[in-house]
Amino acid sequence: MRNASSWAAEATAVFVKEWRCEFRTRYALNTLALFAFTTLVVVSVSLGPLGVSASQGTAVLPVMLWVILLFSVAAGLPRAFVQEEETGTAMALRLAATPSALFCGKLAYGLTLVLALEALLTPVYAAMMNLQVASPGLLAAVLAAGGYGLAAGSTLVAAIIAQARSKGTLFSVLSFPVLLPLLLLSVELTRLAVAGSPAGVALPQLLLYDASVTVAGLMLFPAVWNP
Amino acid sequence: MKNPLAWLLWLWISAVIVGAFFYAPLAQGFIGESSRILFFHVPMAWVSFVAFIAAGVWSLLYLYRGRQPRHDRAAAAAVELGLLFGVLATVTGSLWARIMWNAYWNWDPRQTSIVVALLFYAAYLALRSAVEDDNTRARLSAAYAVLGLAVAPFLFFIMPRIMFSLHPQSVINAQGKVEVESRMVQVLLAGSAGFTALFFWVHNLRCRIQALSDRKSAL
Repeated sequence: MRNASSWAAEATAVFVKEWRCEFRTRYALNTLALFAFTTLVVVSVSLGPLGVSASQGTAVLPVMLWVILLFSVAAGLPRAFVQEEETGTAMALRLAATPSALFCGKLAYGLTLVLALEALLTPVYAAMMNLQVASPGLLAAVLAAGGYGLAAGSTLVAAIIAQARSKGTLFSVLSFPVLLPLLLLSVELTRLAVAGSPAGVALPQLLLYDASVTVAGLMLFPAVWNP
Repeated sequence: MKNPLAWLLWLWISAVIVGAFFYAPLAQGFIGESSRILFFHVPMAWVSFVAFIAAGVWSLLYLYRGRQPRHDRAAAAAVELGLLFGVLATVTGSLWARIMWNAYWNWDPRQTSIVVALLFYAAYLALRSAVEDDNTRARLSAAYAVLGLAVAPFLFFIMPRIMFSLHPQSVINAQGKVEVESRMVQVLLAGSAGFTALFFWVHNLRCRIQALSDRKSAL
């Protein structure tokens, strides 16, 4: 039985390794950022500040923000596990780290990636779409909680699809139904943040979703990871 | 047919069908005879719910009770049948919605949650078809089905309650009282019991066929 400090050291080592590999190729960073920017341009050109009135914008723009985030995540995050299987490093990783530490390390990597994307994308999105946010504090909380849920759900699904064929399409197929409650709650909360209304019960529900996906991930990951 | 229970089930479901059309009264506030579809819609929805929960339980058993192939077969068969009953529940609900709400589809929270559930279990089958090795397939799909158990409460219990819904209150509602006429309740309960029995019977057949087919391919 390993103690807590060696577990934390393992999780940190996985996290550091992920970012070191990431900075060698910058594959996920480039994919996420470019994908998000391209979609943003498409949305902005067709919907832009002149395309939708302020009242319509409150309804439409939060949805587009989360759609961009979802598909950017689907484009970049699965690579964390797919790469391990493709380059044959998965076996060494199975020997080196306990599954829960590995899951947390990968999750921390996914989370930092998603949060970095959100920090880049949201201000540009708000500026280009002329989106006025009445309560930025709530928006930041929603982006953090929603981003965590996106990262946690996709990390587990990525571990599942990495061992299957046709990985790219399978990730979207498997992750969409899992992430849909999260997206509906996040869109609802983003609308409330834009309108300046109080968050109500939706924020605790979003946190509850994050918690249950985390518990399910920690519980199921050993079974997914170890043959 | 050698199985007397199967005959009994046939009689039971026939009686439910007759009861739905000739014994049960019409519900208050429904257009024309449209409330009769309830006696099929509710059992279908109930059975798909039972099937998906059962698939989750069999997946848990597979993962944590010695990885026996029979649990994997049972989970997969339950998902297949649950999808069938789920589609039937969606179609019957949609026909009823056309009469009552004047639209086949309006993204009522109930409709949203059933569609997401169907997508989830269709994805489960897509995952199964994308893995070649038997043990890997069983392990990964079991994990995915258990993940479904973690997400399902948000779809079935939270979303329909926070969003505005036109869907009639469930028979067993938040207040815990039955607001339907007693003859309707009898037919509904008999129908739910009958279709649940039908599910487990077909499920058993499906598992046995799959077991034989697995044994044949192992030879």
